[in-house]
Amino acid sequence: MAAEPKGHWRGLRNAAVLLLIWEVVGRLDLVAGGALPGFSEIVIRLYEDWGDYPRHIWATVYASTLGFLIGNAFGIGAGVIFAMSPTMLRLFRGVNIAVFALPPIAIAPILVLTLSGMAPRIALAALGVYFVTMTATVIGLSQADTRATDVIRAYGGSRWDALRLVRFRGALPSILAGLRVAAPNAVLGAILAEFGGGGRWGLGAYLLGSLGRGEPDRLWGIGLVATLIAGLSYAGFALLASRTLGATRAVTLNTAVPETDTGNRSLAVRIALTLGTIALPFIMWWGFIKLTGVPDLISKTPWGVVQYLFLGPTAESAQSRLLAALAETLPITFVGMAAGLLFAFLLAISSRLFPRAIEAFLPVALVTQTMPLVALTPLLVLILGRGTSLTLWVTISVTFFPAFVTLAQGLALVPRSAEDVPRAYGASRWTEMRMVTLPASLPYLFAATRLTVPRALLGVMIAEWLATGKGLGNLLNQSRGFLDYGMIWTVAAVSVLLSVIFYQLVVIVEKRVLRRLGMATAE
Amino acid sequence: MSAPDGIALSGVCKTFSGRGKVVEALRDVSLSCPAGSFTAIIGPSGCGKSTVMRIALGLERADAGTVRIAGQASLDAARAGVTGVAFQDAALLPWRSVKRNVEVPLEVLGRSRSTAAAHVQDMIELVGLKGYENALPGELSGGMRQRVAIARALVTHPQVLFMDEPFGALDQILRRQMNVELQRIWAETGSTALLVTHGIDEAVFLADRVVVMHAVPGRIVDVIEVPFDRPRQPSLFSDPEFHRVCDHVAEVLHGG
Repeated sequence: MAAEPKGHWRGLRNAAVLLLIWEVVGRLDLVAGGALPGFSEIVIRLYEDWGDYPRHIWATVYASTLGFLIGNAFGIGAGVIFAMSPTMLRLFRGVNIAVFALPPIAIAPILVLTLSGMAPRIALAALGVYFVTMTATVIGLSQADTRATDVIRAYGGSRWDALRLVRFRGALPSILAGLRVAAPNAVLGAILAEFGGGGRWGLGAYLLGSLGRGEPDRLWGIGLVATLIAGLSYAGFALLASRTLGATRAVTLNTAVPETDTGNRSLAVRIALTLGTIALPFIMWWGFIKLTGVPDLISKTPWGVVQYLFLGPTAESAQSRLLAALAETLPITFVGMAAGLLFAFLLAISSRLFPRAIEAFLPVALVTQTMPLVALTPLLVLILGRGTSLTLWVTISVTFFPAFVTLAQGLALVPRSAEDVPRAYGASRWTEMRMVTLPASLPYLFAATRLTVPRALLGVMIAEWLATGKGLGNLLNQSRGFLDYGMIWTVAAVSVLLSVIFYQLVVIVEKRVLRRLGMATAE
Repeated sequence: MSAPDGIALSGVCKTFSGRGKVVEALRDVSLSCPAGSFTAIIGPSGCGKSTVMRIALGLERADAGTVRIAGQASLDAARAGVTGVAFQDAALLPWRSVKRNVEVPLEVLGRSRSTAAAHVQDMIELVGLKGYENALPGELSGGMRQRVAIARALVTHPQVLFMDEPFGALDQILRRQMNVELQRIWAETGSTALLVTHGIDEAVFLADRVVVMHAVPGRIVDVIEVPFDRPRQPSLFSDPEFHRVCDHVAEVLHGG
């Protein structure tokens, strides 16, 4: 038997094998009649097109960098406030869930209506960053060593002193880990805004403009560059973290919106807080419109959407179009999400049974965490065409990878001692799996579900918008063409609302089930 | 012919390799525990005492040497339900109630849980957890969780009982209480017991023989017979003769 090549050599070898297979498959036009060109063909085309690239890359990098900075300023600032004040955290819970769950493509058009120039792209990039950094900050600050803060307090230090001297430094690894995940999110946000916002420059615009030309090698080249930029932004922060802190933390996407315990407050206060939590997103929506000063005809307040959908002269037609679109979008969202989760679950479980076989796959799955997967939908159009299967596969691919990473990393945390007990009684692999691994994976299955809810809706809407011409995504795209402002706002509001409701449903079921089983929520 | 030894290890060797380092965990470890005896293994951290137990249980494979549990290979003994085991941390499944945790070995061995129901209840009562049958591990104190682990180890009527620092997480007072209870339970079941511990007084109080190990490489340096009559009373903990034996164990443990 050959000696095991070790460590990164094995990774390099796997990468080389993958590239070789890609090259052969591409050169022989084995995928959908040449929809996947050979790697060298893509690189050559990239070289030929290079004249076009700098302005597109500059536009995307500019928007994502500014968005990254702004999103982080808000994320860290809000994180500090939330860590200091449980009331604020409770009050902003609705806003935080909405930011986490909103499908960026749905609000891209309304940002284009209300902001101008690069601002919509920057705003969407910032939204993709805010949540990750905010949760990382809250978690980092609240996990600080309580004994160390006790020392500061014991010497009469204020809460601010404790924050300054202990908690902020303690939170740094968590925040840096957050920035690492946030950076590729900013790139994704910028590209999605380029899809939804028109404009000439930017990799998203370039991708969209090249979609109709039937040149697979160019599309793949753009996809490669977009992936590279996102990957580099991730690697940069990973390097920074390991340089400054000496250690890097696992790449897990936190999907839990931070919560506070409000149990010990009076009923009246709790009701007020709940009402405030629900009202705040709408108040911010209203405030945003008043602030931008865009005329009422174009920008709709919450009340404006209600009028459009229920009271106006076209209400009936609007309702029926919205319902028809929902009837197309929702089933495939659920099917795609369920399929993505199921694949991820089966693969993660079998990674416990056949560790060596799956070991090679985990790095691939980790790399996809930094890829703007949804933004690569045009590439899938080449392979799968514009039918329902495209929507399904886009949805599966954007849900499968993050779910797999969450599950696989969660399962790796199952303590050895828990498995030793059945094993010491001679249990088979299957018995061990049934008794220990499967139940232990439940919290991570819920965490993965929370993560995939908004992604599934985003995947479906992107596919509908760019390719299939069905459902909510298409309704949104059409309404832009018809200047049907009411419908644009309605679709945006409804899709955010649906995402939030699904997310909350998952959280409620999760709490019930895990509490009954005596388990804690997976962070 | 005499009955086969409860636990018999002979010439067991084990090395671990990883990250370019090779560690000799066990060198030529031989140990024979007569049926019905109580043996304690004591040694510094990293001396391989837990590895001895894991090899005896069949959880790790020895590089060389043989292991017989009640005259059988370890995994055969495990599948025949001869062994019982309690680990360092209680290693309970957090989503199962006390009763369902105690039933785990029965489930693995494919024994009927309904016919054993009375026995499961007996074991729970034996460790003093009556009334907590349906509690989840998260609702119990550390000491109570350890007692669930003991009940689980005993539920199969094991001929051979393995315990890896079962009271490691407990405070001194509770630990002594549990030592006294464990002696009572062991005497009632008549099983062969192997206890891995780093508490000298615990080892001397419970065991017929204390096996002392040293580290790097992990090896047995001495086996000390403990002369006290059974049942041993809690007052033994303050007996001068008890302290003399403890001092002797400590000397062998720390001496070269």
